[in-house]
Amino acid sequence: MFTLPQKDFRAPTTCLGPACMQDLGSSHGEDLEGECSRKLDQKLPELRGVGDPAMISSDTSYLSSRGRMIKWFWDSAEEGYRTYHMDEYDEDKNPSGIINLGTSENKLCFDLLSWRLSQSDMQRVEPSLLQYADWRGHLFLREEVAKFLSFYCKSPVPLRPENECEEEAVCVIMCASVKYNIRGPALIPRMKTKHRIYYITLFSIVLLGLIATGMFQFWPHSIESSNDWNVEKRSIRDVPVVRLPADSPIPERGDLSCRMHTCFDVYRCGFNPKNKIKVYIYALKKYVDDFGVSVSNAISREYNELLMAISDSDYYTDDINRACLFVPSIDVLNQNTLRIKETAQALAQLSRWDRGTNHLLFNMLPGGPPDYNTALDVPRDRALLAGGGFSTWTYRQGYDVSIPVYSPLSAEVDLPEKGPGPRQYFLLSSQVGLHPEYREDLEALQVKHGESVLVLDKCTNLSEGVLSVRKRCHKHQVFDYPQVLQEATFCVVLRGARLGQAVLSDVLQAGCVPVVIADSYILPFSEVLDWKRASVVVPEEKMSDVYSILQSIPQRQIEEMQRQARWFWEAYFQSIKAIALATLQIINDRIYPYAAISYEEWNDPPAVKWGSVSNPLFLPLIPPQSQGFTAIVLTYDRVESLFRVITEVSKVPSLSKLLVVWNNQNKNPPEDSLWPKIRVPLKVVRTAENKLSNRFFPYDEIETEAVLAIDDDIIMLTSDELQFGYEVWREFPDRLVGYPGRLHLWDHEMNKWKYESEWTNEVSMVLTGAAFYHKYFNYLYTYKMPGDIKNWVDAHMNCEDIAMNFLVANVTGKAVIKVTPRKKFKCPECTAIDGLSLDQTHMVERSECINKFASVFGTMPLKVVEHRADPVLYKDDFPEKLKSFPNIGSL
Amino acid sequence: MQSWRRRKSLWLALSASWLLLVLLGGFSLLRLALPPRPQPGASQGWPRWLDAELLQSFSQPGELPEDAVSPPQAPHGGSCNWEACFDTSKCRGDGLKVFVYPAVGPISETHRRILASIEGSRFYTFSPAGACLLLLLSLDAQTGECSSMPLQWNRGRNHLVLRLRPAPCPRTFQLGQAMVAEASPTVDSFRPGFDVALPFLPEAHPLRGGAPGQLRQHSPQPGVALLALEEERGGWRTADTGSSACPWDGRCEQDPGPGQTQRQETLPNATFCLISGHRPEAASRFLQALQAGCIPVLLSPRWELPFSEVIDWTKAAIVADERLPLQVLAALQEMSPARVLALRQQTQFLWDAYFSSVEKVIHTTLEVIQDRIFGTSAHPSLLWNSPPGALLALSTFSTSPQDFPFYYLQQGSRPEGRFSALIWVGPPGQPPLKLIQAVAGSQHCAQILVLWSNERPLPSRWPETAVPLTVIDGHRKVSDRFYPYSTIRTDAILSLDARSSLSTSEVDFAFLVWQSFPERMVGFLTSSHFWDEAHGGWGYTAERTNEFSMVLTTAAFYHRYYHTLFTHSLPKALRTVADEAPTCVDVLMNFIVAAVTKLPPIKVPYGKQRQEAAPLAPGVPGPRPKPPAPAPDCINQIAAAFGHMPLLSSRLRLDPVLFKDPVSVQRKKYRSLEKP
Repeated sequence: MFTLPQKDFRAPTTCLGPACMQDLGSSHGEDLEGECSRKLDQKLPELRGVGDPAMISSDTSYLSSRGRMIKWFWDSAEEGYRTYHMDEYDEDKNPSGIINLGTSENKLCFDLLSWRLSQSDMQRVEPSLLQYADWRGHLFLREEVAKFLSFYCKSPVPLRPENECEEEAVCVIMCASVKYNIRGPALIPRMKTKHRIYYITLFSIVLLGLIATGMFQFWPHSIESSNDWNVEKRSIRDVPVVRLPADSPIPERGDLSCRMHTCFDVYRCGFNPKNKIKVYIYALKKYVDDFGVSVSNAISREYNELLMAISDSDYYTDDINRACLFVPSIDVLNQNTLRIKETAQALAQLSRWDRGTNHLLFNMLPGGPPDYNTALDVPRDRALLAGGGFSTWTYRQGYDVSIPVYSPLSAEVDLPEKGPGPRQYFLLSSQVGLHPEYREDLEALQVKHGESVLVLDKCTNLSEGVLSVRKRCHKHQVFDYPQVLQEATFCVVLRGARLGQAVLSDVLQAGCVPVVIADSYILPFSEVLDWKRASVVVPEEKMSDVYSILQSIPQRQIEEMQRQARWFWEAYFQSIKAIALATLQIINDRIYPYAAISYEEWNDPPAVKWGSVSNPLFLPLIPPQSQGFTAIVLTYDRVESLFRVITEVSKVPSLSKLLVVWNNQNKNPPEDSLWPKIRVPLKVVRTAENKLSNRFFPYDEIETEAVLAIDDDIIMLTSDELQFGYEVWREFPDRLVGYPGRLHLWDHEMNKWKYESEWTNEVSMVLTGAAFYHKYFNYLYTYKMPGDIKNWVDAHMNCEDIAMNFLVANVTGKAVIKVTPRKKFKCPECTAIDGLSLDQTHMVERSECINKFASVFGTMPLKVVEHRADPVLYKDDFPEKLKSFPNIGSL
Repeated sequence: MQSWRRRKSLWLALSASWLLLVLLGGFSLLRLALPPRPQPGASQGWPRWLDAELLQSFSQPGELPEDAVSPPQAPHGGSCNWEACFDTSKCRGDGLKVFVYPAVGPISETHRRILASIEGSRFYTFSPAGACLLLLLSLDAQTGECSSMPLQWNRGRNHLVLRLRPAPCPRTFQLGQAMVAEASPTVDSFRPGFDVALPFLPEAHPLRGGAPGQLRQHSPQPGVALLALEEERGGWRTADTGSSACPWDGRCEQDPGPGQTQRQETLPNATFCLISGHRPEAASRFLQALQAGCIPVLLSPRWELPFSEVIDWTKAAIVADERLPLQVLAALQEMSPARVLALRQQTQFLWDAYFSSVEKVIHTTLEVIQDRIFGTSAHPSLLWNSPPGALLALSTFSTSPQDFPFYYLQQGSRPEGRFSALIWVGPPGQPPLKLIQAVAGSQHCAQILVLWSNERPLPSRWPETAVPLTVIDGHRKVSDRFYPYSTIRTDAILSLDARSSLSTSEVDFAFLVWQSFPERMVGFLTSSHFWDEAHGGWGYTAERTNEFSMVLTTAAFYHRYYHTLFTHSLPKALRTVADEAPTCVDVLMNFIVAAVTKLPPIKVPYGKQRQEAAPLAPGVPGPRPKPPAPAPDCINQIAAAFGHMPLLSSRLRLDPVLFKDPVSVQRKKYRSLEKP
């Protein structure tokens, strides 16, 4: 939207047409300025809403009859045309008739406007300006036009921007008419043939209608998509002033025992299907005391950014009645700039204050001399405080939020992430204005450990013009700050007068591990961030030992901490927006704990999140054998074979239920009496569509965790083999346990994956023509299969087993287990039917599947192993009759 | 006339275009009109100030550093935090050393056994002077003897007052700077980072071992009740959430509804267990639910959750606001199966790792305090919150999860592709030349260590090998075999006895299998345990059977971490048992690995001709199949020390994919495994 072509830029320009036409419509040919001023003088006080019937009677005396007519009809293009036709201009017959646009004065006014609007200060059109902000147009634009007109037309009374363009829709219609008629009416005087005028007019009207229609078609969309652009442009100096009487109420100091369930009104948050709190921001006001002296400075840049970030986020609502959390626009980020009592009074008179319930205050620099309280001193009753310097004594665990002290340097300096590797200094202190005692301790460290410790201080001998905040000195050596932080492995973050120090943010940005020496300091976002992973906290009394403490940390852990420090900065420190959103997320997590963000999401850097696998069945748990398994037979119409499979499978001791998925919609399953009589319950599920994925649907009828998927033609598996397969599954319940194994290979010639069913020494897949797996994978297959794989499989009627292998391997990060030597499911007599060519197309199709799935998953999740599971005494020299599973071994 | 006609056509065209407009645009307009539109002109969001550029920063450059400096604050009186009230200087060196005040007068059995358990632990020290933490047990409400002020009290500094039941004694003395570990402390009195919150243990809680979690399957049974409600008078009842959105605090008891069953003492089978947050007694229900795998749903608990400092309870329980019952209910009903599955498994893991016995609770308490002392070398959160838990994943071994055998997948890493062979040479002490050659022939072998545990002098000549060979002079103790030698540099260890005989391809294949199961033991020869009805104890057999529960460590792959665990976490008494009866070492090692993994070991194929001729078990003169079973006492002693039987049986063996298949030998990668 930012690279808009010129045409779009013109939109607001041409929009000014009606305004000009209206105001200057009746003047022509004479001295522009004089005429202009005269007309404006007369009309301005009376300009009001469009189509106000009262205007006809009340305003008429000031306007010429033509002016009246135009005024009356000006709000609609069509009406304008009618008026025009009713009193058409003619050089000879009707010299005082209406001339449409294009007359000289209009043109002049227009030219001036476009000249003004093409000035350099108007060149940057923010996208928001190009939107139809509301039905009256942008106030800012109207302001400009009003100013311009007032100036050029020498209006004695400044024009009110509100009246400039009454209805933007009409504006646009008029723009369009300007655009397309500019030639037409200009020709009018010269054209003698009325028909031509008529047709041109007709044509333009139809065109007009179409354009208007098109505009209405797109209007709503642009409104929906531009919610956040829909903001008013105002000056901060124009905010309303509120006078605080000296005796207006002050909130109580509030108690330290506040918890979410005692002080927070959770009812306001109500039920929210998205589990997101709604935050309202009070409008900005300027508070003055009885004497008109302002209570606080204007809003700070950071607080403005913070409120803007909230306003742009999903949390924001502009409806005070639906809000759950209220953020005052009274800036208390820095207590130094505040008048404590009056600020408290200002808080107390907020419309929903109610003892501060559900109000959130942001403060980064609390306390003031001499004792520097660690929390904001403004009495705030029950309001939550997001504070930047809490100590254990002031922090209300689970109620307040500890936030960082924002470092304005973050915005100024771009420090690229520095890779791991040795850094010049082991320990560095960059803070200035430290307590002399601390500085002595640090200098002692420097003396003891020499070059590897660097203690910096502020520079005293800098030449004029050099920013002292960006420089640090050691003796006469000058260092750039914060760049020097990247040269150190550990950076000291000492308490100053306040516990929270902005230097922490700089240190994290530099990927230097902060050594926090500030007893009782509550580290920022400590409720969710695991600071052990990114920092070293050393008690103040141990400061002299800090070097040896740090030296005991292994190098690998240090590198891990450096990465983590940088990640914390990127995610939660780098901008005011990041700080604001993290704060709201923490509060949101408290209110909707069941939808809270997990430890890993808060703390794991993106690289770890991508690389790691979180197995859904992580608990090592061998399910009891007594539970058994459910066999799911997918069938279409091979009833005879199906019955044989049912009979065979029912011999397996651990079978607890049989489920037949009848995938044939054209044929009914056989009658109940025809089914084989078996000892376990048998259920038939009829499907709505013949899809392969029906086999992997998580049917409610499945009551066991183990599922045996079996095709209706797998009659060759012995009862021993199936029972053994189930026992193997019990030991590996998070894997696919199947019989024939298959392999994927990388084809270096073709540069893609290949499917392999030869006699290989390796296995990466098992066929699901007969395989045991956990029923949870049915749920995953049906509802969580990535991309379009599920539909693709259903459409191609192939590769559902490969898809399942991919899914399970991807989610568990583990390989399949192939059981017993069985190589193929084909019956010996079937081999004749299977031609070689059929086999080859089959292999090509299967290879395609692997390539397709690998591209959807974005990786190759399959794991290759060289082992298969056999019974303990398989093929051992041992009496067969003593073996548990003697009937295993055919291929 | 003509102009009238023209005007008529004009009107026609006009109305036509309007009609078009209404038809095409009307719907969109209607759509636009339907949602409540903001008032025209009302402010939308925070305004973009025209003059935002002119705003000043909240802190002026230079202002921050120029802050006046105040002296460091002294800790507030009465309140304590870790830095202010705990002196870590005494704990330097060998970490946490705990002294327990001996009980005065008659004590209960529980008290005595807790004392014994601490005294047997690795934390214990005899002298209060050398102790970093002084533990004061305050348990016995029944005996009426409340502990009096101990001698080394020193205003409570470095003291931990352990109360397993909430405040059985009136406070006979000022706690001062002592930390308090008590069951379900109220949130208001709890000092985070200083006190320790314990679970509310029932009277009959087992001291050691403890019952395993009751969850028998990962996912909930279909049709299981969604909610079980904890009742004030004890017991549970299930609630059918579909029938009513009934709150749980008895407000709608007049309408019990058809789905609500009668109260019962035992925990019904439900997915979620609702527990009141007000009464600390409800905390015992919490533990009950945890054991049953019923996901605890706590309503605004006023008590601190046990070990909340280290345990991430959001992974196992749901803490909700009691004021939003309907929302909680809806959230439970809509919870994804994946989340339910994860929560249920976590309940079981936490129960088993930290809560199932009094001993575990006490050890966890000490571990929490040790973590505070360790600072950066404490357990990372992952170790606390995923199996096997912080008690079994020692932070003294490493603080980096990749070093442990349990977290490869979570860390996105893999076990490294090399192993160290550790060959134990006991009496009679012949250098195992053939074995060294065979092992060194493996492409995965990184180094060979010979542990000379023998009276005879070290031979001066060793075979030339492609990999470095190191000889360690052992201490003639069997348990030396499992000492974490710093010379072992790989994750995998192939533990061997000098008389074992293995071929290179056997070693290669077994190592590949181990890489797939790095947390388990992968061995060649097996034995199994069984319950001996006749003797009323556990028995042990090395007979070849259809199942096994142990692999012999005379030839087995396992992770080097188990050496650390064996040496540093086992009570000394157990290691002595192993030393006295050498064959017990195998049993002990298998016990410890099984207790950690909760899985059976893995067996790989082993050439059977040697199996008959040269048994692997050390010190066995006779031929098989009569290996001398270790003294039957050994397994029972160990089981008693563990408090339960961790061993699990397996019925499978992992073979190469083409093992003994009737195909050409040329196709097979591990053909020598099949040689007759």
